[in-house]
Amino acid sequence: MKIDGQFGLPSREELESYRIWDSYFTPSHSHPGKDGSSLLLADIEKSKRALEVGRFEKACFFAHVGIGTTTDAELETLLREKPELVLEPLDRYPDLLLGMIQMNGNDLASSLAALDQWLGDGPMLGVYFPGGGPGAMTCTHPNMEPLIEKIAELDGVIMQHTWFKTGGKQGPGESTPAELAELAAKFPDQKFLCAHAGGEWEQGIRAVRDSPNILIETSGFDATAGFVEMGVRELGAERIVFGSHLPSRSLGTELAKVTAAEIPEAARKQILGANFRALLAPAFRRKGRAV
Amino acid sequence: MRMKRREFIRTALATGAAAWLPVGASEDSAFQLVDSNVSLFDWPFRKLPLDETSVLMEKLRSLGVGQAFAGSYEGLFHRDLPAVNHRLAKESTGVPELLPIGSVNPDLPAWREVLRSCAEDHEMRGIRLHPNYHGYTLDDPRFRELLERAAEIGLFVQLAATMEDRRTQNSIAAVPDVDLTPLPTVVAAVPGVRVQVLNWRPRMAELESMKDVSGIHFDTARVDGTDGIEQLQKVVSPDRVLFGSGAHFLIPEASLIRLMHESGLEEEILEKIAQTNSVRLRGGNPA
Repeated sequence: MKIDGQFGLPSREELESYRIWDSYFTPSHSHPGKDGSSLLLADIEKSKRALEVGRFEKACFFAHVGIGTTTDAELETLLREKPELVLEPLDRYPDLLLGMIQMNGNDLASSLAALDQWLGDGPMLGVYFPGGGPGAMTCTHPNMEPLIEKIAELDGVIMQHTWFKTGGKQGPGESTPAELAELAAKFPDQKFLCAHAGGEWEQGIRAVRDSPNILIETSGFDATAGFVEMGVRELGAERIVFGSHLPSRSLGTELAKVTAAEIPEAARKQILGANFRALLAPAFRRKGRAV
Repeated sequence: MRMKRREFIRTALATGAAAWLPVGASEDSAFQLVDSNVSLFDWPFRKLPLDETSVLMEKLRSLGVGQAFAGSYEGLFHRDLPAVNHRLAKESTGVPELLPIGSVNPDLPAWREVLRSCAEDHEMRGIRLHPNYHGYTLDDPRFRELLERAAEIGLFVQLAATMEDRRTQNSIAAVPDVDLTPLPTVVAAVPGVRVQVLNWRPRMAELESMKDVSGIHFDTARVDGTDGIEQLQKVVSPDRVLFGSGAHFLIPEASLIRLMHESGLEEEILEKIAQTNSVRLRGGNPA
């Protein structure tokens, strides 16, 4: 019996026409491996089939850079002493990977220094504010403001983990979309990515609706029907950015949210790549690179 | 409602509903997906793009689904389950791809009659349980009795481990995932019972306890991670994993892309998961 068909996946030509840039690639997201990179590289390899099937052009991961974003003190030291380990994924997959750094809102001095090192003088294009672990800090905390000012100065992109969780936050450092809206109101010229659209996206979308400098990111929750349709209706396609959450989530779950949504084809292209490229453009320009 | 594969294809061809069949399909050769996890009617908490059965079926056909095991979202909260099952059977009439799956709640009076009615009045092949919404655990003696009775009258049993991520549930109707810990012991004690766990995100400790109990099957709706399905079938055997989309609360393409494109599984295994295992579970000829 011959099994042949598209089975819900757009054709190769369609996928390539979307020019997919993944804003939320999470290989070994919480720890890159004791040696600084092996688990991360293994997860990239694990993701390669999905990246190829989806015809992704780029995928943006979030590097730990030794500023206390893990609970592994030896790793933190290693990453500070050997920055080449942080760069190894970018060196190994130069055509695929884009990088941002994970921030530690609880260590303002180290985070500010890391911004100069990795965004100002290095290849990183932005930052990720985590929702858990030792680097997590609710985004309404005063520590966030000097960090945002510095990131804006360096033309960095900001990805903020957000969730509205039934039963409450998983930890004191987690942020909700409503809290991100509070922060974003203080920096109207800076764009913010609301990662996971709050997870419970009916509230998440509503919470950021009146914050034009917030875009929602699509990954990290089940492929619940109607999400992208509501996002386009309430925010407009120009405020939605695709993320894959690979490999802990899947191409099927994350891509189908966009490719199966009842939205215009032009909106799909915006969400899957064009919006993220537009966000990254200032950082690319600053580094003398073309998007 | 009973329809063997050849009859099903013949009906589809005869009624003109075969436009979705693969090119070259015939009674003997067509590969058709069987979606073991679909629900009809309204999701209790929001309107969904595929709420209308006709729209849902159009979508499933476009994806190559030739048969769908269809429960009812009404089964989550309604207490008049005979009426729920009657509406489901009626909605499925004239839609040859739909195999209606009745709802049974052993916490309600006269549940044995509901079970009987599913088999005899509606000629259903299977039933669907929601222990977390219905308020009982799997070590409840009524659950075991229900499995015994289902096995006796030839019904397979779908056990929804969850319907929605607990983190996104409405706070006034939030339920935990079903605790599956007792399941292997109960299933192993009921000869001939066929149980399929739906919407479960596998956790290795629980999976280990279930991997040798051949009466337990799994669907793919919430088996996430780029290698999730590959790993699941490796642990429990490719004979016990069945494609299920979780539609229409979940986008049907999601699980389908994961299985058919992303898993990298060999064609022989794909055929089992996407088709023949479900045919076997429902009690039909897998050939």
